[in-house]
Amino acid sequence: MTSHPFAPREEWTRLHIVTPLLLGGKVVGVFVAIALAQGGQGGLFAAKSAPAWVPLAGIMIAIVVALAIAFGEWWMNQFRVDDDAVHQRKGILFRQYRQARLDRLQAVDVVQPLLARVFGFAEVKIDVAGGKASSVRLQYLRLDDAEALRNEIVALAAGVGRAHAGVPAATASSLEHAGLAPSGERLDAPVSLAPVSQAPVSQAPVLEAPVLQQPVRRAPVVAAPQREVYAVPPGRLLGSIVASWWTLMIVGFVVIAIVVVVVLGAVAVEKVAGDAVSGGGGIAGFFGGSAYGVISGLFAFFAIGWARFSSGFGFTAAISADGIRLQHGLLDTRRQTVPPGRVQAVQLHQPLPWRHFDWWRITINVAGYQDEEQAETTLLPVGPRRDALYALWLVLPDLGDPDPAGTVSAALSGVGADNGFTATPRRAWLVDPWQWRRRGVLATGRALLIRHGLFARHLTVVPHEKTQSLSIRQGPLQRLLSLATVEVHSTKGSISPVARHLGLADAVALVDAQADRAREARGRQSPEQWMATVQQ
Amino acid sequence: MSWFDPAGVTWTYASRRLIAARLLIGIVPVAVLGAAVGAAAWLLGAHPAASVGCGLAVVAWWAWVVIRQVTAHGWVERQDDLMVKRGRIFRRVTVVPYGRMQYVEVNAGPVARAFSLARVQLHTASPGTDAHLSGVLTEEAARLRDRLTARGEARLAGL
Repeated sequence: MTSHPFAPREEWTRLHIVTPLLLGGKVVGVFVAIALAQGGQGGLFAAKSAPAWVPLAGIMIAIVVALAIAFGEWWMNQFRVDDDAVHQRKGILFRQYRQARLDRLQAVDVVQPLLARVFGFAEVKIDVAGGKASSVRLQYLRLDDAEALRNEIVALAAGVGRAHAGVPAATASSLEHAGLAPSGERLDAPVSLAPVSQAPVSQAPVLEAPVLQQPVRRAPVVAAPQREVYAVPPGRLLGSIVASWWTLMIVGFVVIAIVVVVVLGAVAVEKVAGDAVSGGGGIAGFFGGSAYGVISGLFAFFAIGWARFSSGFGFTAAISADGIRLQHGLLDTRRQTVPPGRVQAVQLHQPLPWRHFDWWRITINVAGYQDEEQAETTLLPVGPRRDALYALWLVLPDLGDPDPAGTVSAALSGVGADNGFTATPRRAWLVDPWQWRRRGVLATGRALLIRHGLFARHLTVVPHEKTQSLSIRQGPLQRLLSLATVEVHSTKGSISPVARHLGLADAVALVDAQADRAREARGRQSPEQWMATVQQ
Repeated sequence: MSWFDPAGVTWTYASRRLIAARLLIGIVPVAVLGAAVGAAAWLLGAHPAASVGCGLAVVAWWAWVVIRQVTAHGWVERQDDLMVKRGRIFRRVTVVPYGRMQYVEVNAGPVARAFSLARVQLHTASPGTDAHLSGVLTEEAARLRDRLTARGEARLAGL
């Protein structure tokens, strides 16, 4: 069992010893800041208050206690990877035991916050389908170790180890067989495993088992070869942030502010002629106040823009046998691996200012990702239509349509019944005066396409096998107009696919047909262990 | 009612006892509201009888809404999925495939227990799935839960 390269680590392992320093770095920083401030005060008021060393000593004690707690937590925080799951146990007072089942694996991220990145450490975040905060977060490991662990977890989850318990060298050829490895380039699958696992396999009384102090440096599992599909140049990213509603609003705000200032300033200057003293104060106060408003508005704009820029910086997407690989981030970096068939829904979105450039942003629903994490759920921060089509292809290699590019293009910018779309009928303008012309649905062989949005365009794509449940609803106005709304329920995330205001007959037919299509698609759904079938 | 009643489907409707249970739960706040409306009408100078009438009208309207809602709520177990319908003014039919059910939850509050009623809630991986069956008789709820769970296991698909 331990002879193949994907043999799991059977023993409990501690994270890197630097963890408490990295995690507690901020706390210590706060204490140091307080200490400095107190020290400064102590210098100023030395004559009146207690001697300067008293606050300093207090701060030192607080730091020592905080570090002791942090080290205690690190000591208790251990993880273990076996064939079926990643286990984690932690906590001093309140013990916590968590396991992420590999057959429920949805994504594995290697995350590097700035501080950890500076020192070459990373966090491994394992997302499984579960409720809030169900992911296992291993922070921190050396970057190499983190990546090796990621590769190992992904390989185990893929069923590579299982299918090839005795024949490790076949991995590379099977990847080539899958058409993903560049032909000619040979993977060096590690054949020998560092003999780390001498402990007996039966480790039921885990508390007595030895705990490794450090992740053992072992022959790493090589990542499956990848091919880059698209990248986002920083210039385009910057342009996409500048070309946004926010910019228009800020520019409008600044223009209005300037006009107001100039007009009122002129009024005030006239006043100054009559009443020099109070008028001068008024002008200064007025300019101060408006400048404050402008500056705070600009700050908000820059904060939002900065978040977009820093999370989308250097965005690259690649395809590998392990699924989609995304890498991005300016200060904090994130390398995501989303195995095949884990994306529950895709949304393509084009704000109005982007239409001129035909840029699109793509977000995805993945069961393990929480919807508030915008950095996690972005598949393409901004890209031309070609990249958007590639991104969609990453998620859905087979759309089940004879002309996928044409159909998706029509879905992106079309209206009415173009390309076989079931459009919202004209009478819907009474309840939906703006968007009714854009609204429409189309079911291809593999996915449902829902189109809406007149100024900002949206296209939502849900693979049939990812449909959880369906509902059809109708309010009183819709009943008068004989319309109905169809909802397709996807997993938790920012995308909720809804086709509003379809004709009643169309809506009923859609729900019936979609229920059948979803059932059929579930039957031929790819297995959870996506490599297990490829290798047989 | 056409799209509400697909051909060849026999709906199981919520027990009429649910009407009594809901009326019992809601009567105190609604009576207070009705009294407030009546008092307001009286203060605005309405005839005392008319004021009482206003208050009673509020209560009666609410009771009518409850009755209409409960009688509109039903479900049907089909071959591969469960269909739930609810609502009169805002109508909704939800289709939950058995293979998508993650777990089935049965709960009953004190009033519901007094009427030997329970509520069966179906959970899928989606938070949007709003499929609960209210007003199921307790013994039927247990049977329903077991049946749904068994069908779910038989057809369970990955996410």
